[in-house]
Amino acid sequence: MRAIVIDDSRAMRLILRRIVGQLGFDVIEAEDGKAALDTLNSESEVPNLALVDWNMPNMNGLEFVTAVRADGRFKDMTLVMVTTESEQSQIVRALAAGAHEYVIKPFTQGAMLEKLALLGLVPSGATA
Amino acid sequence: MSTEIVPTAQDLADIVGQVWSSYLDTEGTDPLIPIEESPSTDIVASVSITGGWSGHVVVSCSDAAAKQAAAAFLMMDATEVSADDVTDVLGELANIVGGNVKSMLPASSMVSLPQVVNVSGGSVRWPACVQICELAGVWREEPVSIAMWQKTDLADGNG
Repeated sequence: MRAIVIDDSRAMRLILRRIVGQLGFDVIEAEDGKAALDTLNSESEVPNLALVDWNMPNMNGLEFVTAVRADGRFKDMTLVMVTTESEQSQIVRALAAGAHEYVIKPFTQGAMLEKLALLGLVPSGATA
Repeated sequence: MSTEIVPTAQDLADIVGQVWSSYLDTEGTDPLIPIEESPSTDIVASVSITGGWSGHVVVSCSDAAAKQAAAAFLMMDATEVSADDVTDVLGELANIVGGNVKSMLPASSMVSLPQVVNVSGGSVRWPACVQICELAGVWREEPVSIAMWQKTDLADGNG
C-alpha cells in the first residue's frame, strides 16, 4: 500500500505521514498539487491513497483532484481532502470533483482513522 | 451599516478548543487555562483574511510554549524540536484557526499563507486594525494568546 500526502505545511505532512505510516503505507510527500502531479507522473507505482490539502500555492487541492480524476491512470486512487474548508458548498464541490472523503482540520488521529476505515484502507488488526 | 458576520469570542474559543483537543492536549490533561490580561509573548504566527471580511488571526506565545506546541503537534520530545519545527507548527496552528474562522465569514473571503515572526523584546503591529476578540491563556504554565484583528473601517461599521 502506498500513499501520497499533499500539503504545503511540513508539520501537517509529518502528522499525516505518521498516521498512514502506522497503517503500513509507504508514504511519499508533495508540497502542492503541481508537485504531486509531477511526482505521480514520475512514479511507476500509483499510490492507493492521496491525502490532499485544499489551499496550496501553484495548484490547489481541488485542481489536483480534478486533474487526477481526468487521468485514467489514477482511476483506482482514493482521494481524501484534508482541509480547513468546512463550508457545505466546498465539501460538495470537492466530492463532485471526485474526492471520496472529506476531513476537516483540526482532526484527531481517531477521526482520520475512522474515515480511512470507511474507505476500507485500514488493514484488519491495525489500530483504529 | 455593516451586515458582515463576525465570529465571536465564543466562536474563537470553540475553534481553539478543537485545535487543542486534536493536537496539543490529546489526553485532556493540558488545557489552555484562560486569563484576563493579554500576555507578553515571543513568537507571533498569523494569517490574513481578505475579501468579504478583512483582518488577521494571530496566534502568539512564549518561546517555551512554542517549543512545547511543536513537540506536542509533531509527537516528539521537546529536546528534538528544531527552529523550523517551531515555525512550521505555529504557522500551521494559525492556518488552522484562521481557516476555521474564514469558514464563518462571507464565501468571498480568502486566507493568506501564514507568517511567523519572533518578536522577543518587540511587538507586531496591525495597521488600521482593531482587536475584536482574544483568547488569552496559560498552557503548561506558559502564555498563549489567540486573537482576531479586524480592519477598522469594518469594525466601525463602514465597510
